[in-house]
Amino acid sequence: MAEQSLTKNILRKGLIGIVVGVVLVIAARLTHFPEIFQIMFFVYAMLGAFVFILLDAPSMTRLEGGKAVVGLLLFYVIISGVYIAGAGILPQYDPGIEKGKIEKLLKARRARTQQGKAEELIARAKALDEKADAITKQLASLGAGAQAVVVSSERDAAPAAASGDLVAVGKEQWELQECYNCHKLYGQGGKKRGPEMDNIGNLMTAAQLREKIIDPKSWMAEGFDKQYKKGKMPDKYKDLMFDEEIDALVAFLVSLKDASVNTPKPIKMK
Amino acid sequence: MTLRRSLLVLLGLLVTGAAVAYAQAPEAPSVDFPYAGNRTAVWFVANLHILFAAFILGAPIFAVVSEWLGYKNNDPKYDRLAKEVTKVTVILYSMTALTGGLFIFVLLGTYPDFTTWFIQHFFMVFAVIYPLLFIAETIILYTYFYTWDSLKGEKKARHIALGVLLNIVGTVTLFVIDGPTSFMNTPAESAEGMSIFETVASMNLWDKIANYSWMPLNLHRLVGNVTFGGFIAGLIAAYMYMGAKSDEERSYYDWMGFVGNLIGVGALLLLPFMGYLLAYELCDYDASICPYMMADQLSMFFEMQGAMVGLIFLASNYYIWLSMKRIQGVENVRISGLVMIAVILMPAIMGLAWKMFPPPEWQSLIFLALLVFLPPVLSKLPGLRFTVSAFTMIKVGFLMIVVADAIWMTPHGFVATQAMATEENELPSWASELALMPAKNAAAFTLVFLTVVNYILYNRAIKCGTIVWGKIDFASQFVLIFLAFSAIWTMGLMGTVRSLTRKYYHVYNLLPDFTPESFTPTLAYSAWWITGTTLVFYAVVSFAIIVTLRSTDKKASVPQGEALPAAAK
Repeated sequence: MAEQSLTKNILRKGLIGIVVGVVLVIAARLTHFPEIFQIMFFVYAMLGAFVFILLDAPSMTRLEGGKAVVGLLLFYVIISGVYIAGAGILPQYDPGIEKGKIEKLLKARRARTQQGKAEELIARAKALDEKADAITKQLASLGAGAQAVVVSSERDAAPAAASGDLVAVGKEQWELQECYNCHKLYGQGGKKRGPEMDNIGNLMTAAQLREKIIDPKSWMAEGFDKQYKKGKMPDKYKDLMFDEEIDALVAFLVSLKDASVNTPKPIKMK
Repeated sequence: MTLRRSLLVLLGLLVTGAAVAYAQAPEAPSVDFPYAGNRTAVWFVANLHILFAAFILGAPIFAVVSEWLGYKNNDPKYDRLAKEVTKVTVILYSMTALTGGLFIFVLLGTYPDFTTWFIQHFFMVFAVIYPLLFIAETIILYTYFYTWDSLKGEKKARHIALGVLLNIVGTVTLFVIDGPTSFMNTPAESAEGMSIFETVASMNLWDKIANYSWMPLNLHRLVGNVTFGGFIAGLIAAYMYMGAKSDEERSYYDWMGFVGNLIGVGALLLLPFMGYLLAYELCDYDASICPYMMADQLSMFFEMQGAMVGLIFLASNYYIWLSMKRIQGVENVRISGLVMIAVILMPAIMGLAWKMFPPPEWQSLIFLALLVFLPPVLSKLPGLRFTVSAFTMIKVGFLMIVVADAIWMTPHGFVATQAMATEENELPSWASELALMPAKNAAAFTLVFLTVVNYILYNRAIKCGTIVWGKIDFASQFVLIFLAFSAIWTMGLMGTVRSLTRKYYHVYNLLPDFTPESFTPTLAYSAWWITGTTLVFYAVVSFAIIVTLRSTDKKASVPQGEALPAAAK
């Protein structure tokens, strides 16, 4: 097989790659692909050009001794760099978002474990220590008639639950348990695995919703026979959620009464 | 005033009491890995251990197959190949044990409560079954290696039987240790009227081992290990070829690289489907795992996986291309043009077929069978006998590999989680099918089919042409090294994904990880550590290859340099 010179090969294939890439970008723009996909198509065209440059490239000269070792090390540096850079270019999920979620989810659970109880005790003792120090200092610096003001930091940090806003806590549970992955609500989230939920409050009572969460096989959404048979709704929330969390989620779901959305009719199965 | 003072005294008493309780609370010294943190330290050591373990399980499969081929065909090359791979395996065996011990120490130090809990659940596995299997495997491996020269000639079959026994014990060891590993992902589904905690408490050891994802993980790792063994054999061959001083050595290691790549690619063809089976079972176990993997925090990990799989298929086919280029007479090899048309149509037809009949429905396989088997049948009919050259077919094949890669890598939206998807970064609705599983399956089958077609062409070329071993383009050695490196990197990436599917649990839905490190790390951060692990593994393997083989290669060389018709060999 005749081998073209490397430069000629690169120029020819590179030019074809650019032309194909531009055509793809124009076609993608006309068919309403966002810019990021247009760039992606161009990159694929250039990848194709690179592959065809390699296919027709002249044979490589043999490397021996020190040159082979240097060549190898350089090769490892390049592929390591390419893989790290490739992974770095892609969109990155911000762990901060998840950390907040995990903290909310695990805080209550941690408090109920032996380790959590010990740590809670230690934390309270430390807080009391600090308070005692503050009071001692206050007493020392003030006269007999002065008032020692103790501010409860715990009260300041009271979660939404303490405010009594059950629906808000339920909405938070919706987010934390990631119900949106399978159920669409307010126009957002998945809709293939489970029904849209915007009007569920008009179709099910609090008791029925609670029953469905605890035992997913107890009710089925009309038109979701396949998903029901496959057991798509996980049978885990009775184990993962505390009673008060389920109550809050139910209160939130009951409040969803947007009749303009066609939430499928629930069918009693058990 | 008196009341206030009384309250302060009471508060003081409470503080004193609490302080005493605080002082008495047991305070175990906590371990905190500098820079990396505990979770990353465990991740690094576990990944390293799994790489060595994968090699010592995959390489003996490769070795015994090679030894059997040598015995059957009376070809000493295969026997030498098997022995050299086994020699490296023996050296790396100690590294597997060493990293395994290190893994347990690090795990015990950093996560003592979880480790104790876990060991107690699988006590018989960790304290009795696994150590016994490991000891048995050690004895058989060393016996297998050290009886190589004494069990030859008429006794060769006994030696091969020993190799088979080694692989049986190795596979059982893999399956046994996969029990606890897969349990962490899919512990149990709660039984009727019981919580998951009650269900697990009532399960016996076998129930815990034979969990939802156990068999898919076994199959995935088994095939992955063979792929790994093949590519590492290719790596060994590349190193030795680069350092070879004579034509005889070069011809032997050129041949060895080809065989390593052939076995690696052969197993690689099954790997996407084994991975798919594992993912399918994980999603079936808990539907919320699926969006987490494909549309949420891990979606870009799968984007990277698509890129890696694409690169591996491109490189392995490029190696075939380079192998064919040095065959004299390859210009005369032709294939039916209908095969080329089938290859071009495959992504579209199979994408539609899988959309109409998604797995586990089987009807889509009819379309696949038609695409694969119809062209050779139809090409016998008059008027449909047009053919294309092997090089044209392979070039069209490369074009379709790029197309299949593009389909595999097209996400629904270029965002880290679909919650952030907007019109500016997601596919237009008319093209949304490109991001769904039918399209991905079609891309995977296209990649596999193309690779098979290329090997068929290679087979035809060596039957009618003349091959000179040792004269392959030097770039091919870098391709072999690239394949091994990329395969290891992908293993690290997918191992990371498998572990991360547990989210913030040590054992999914059962035992939460309360440490601050239980979040999903970014892909960029993960890539640094995966690359680090790969490089450390590479450094050790490279050292083992140089130490074990470079000193003995001159003694064991087999003359292979002369040009012979390939079929005669």
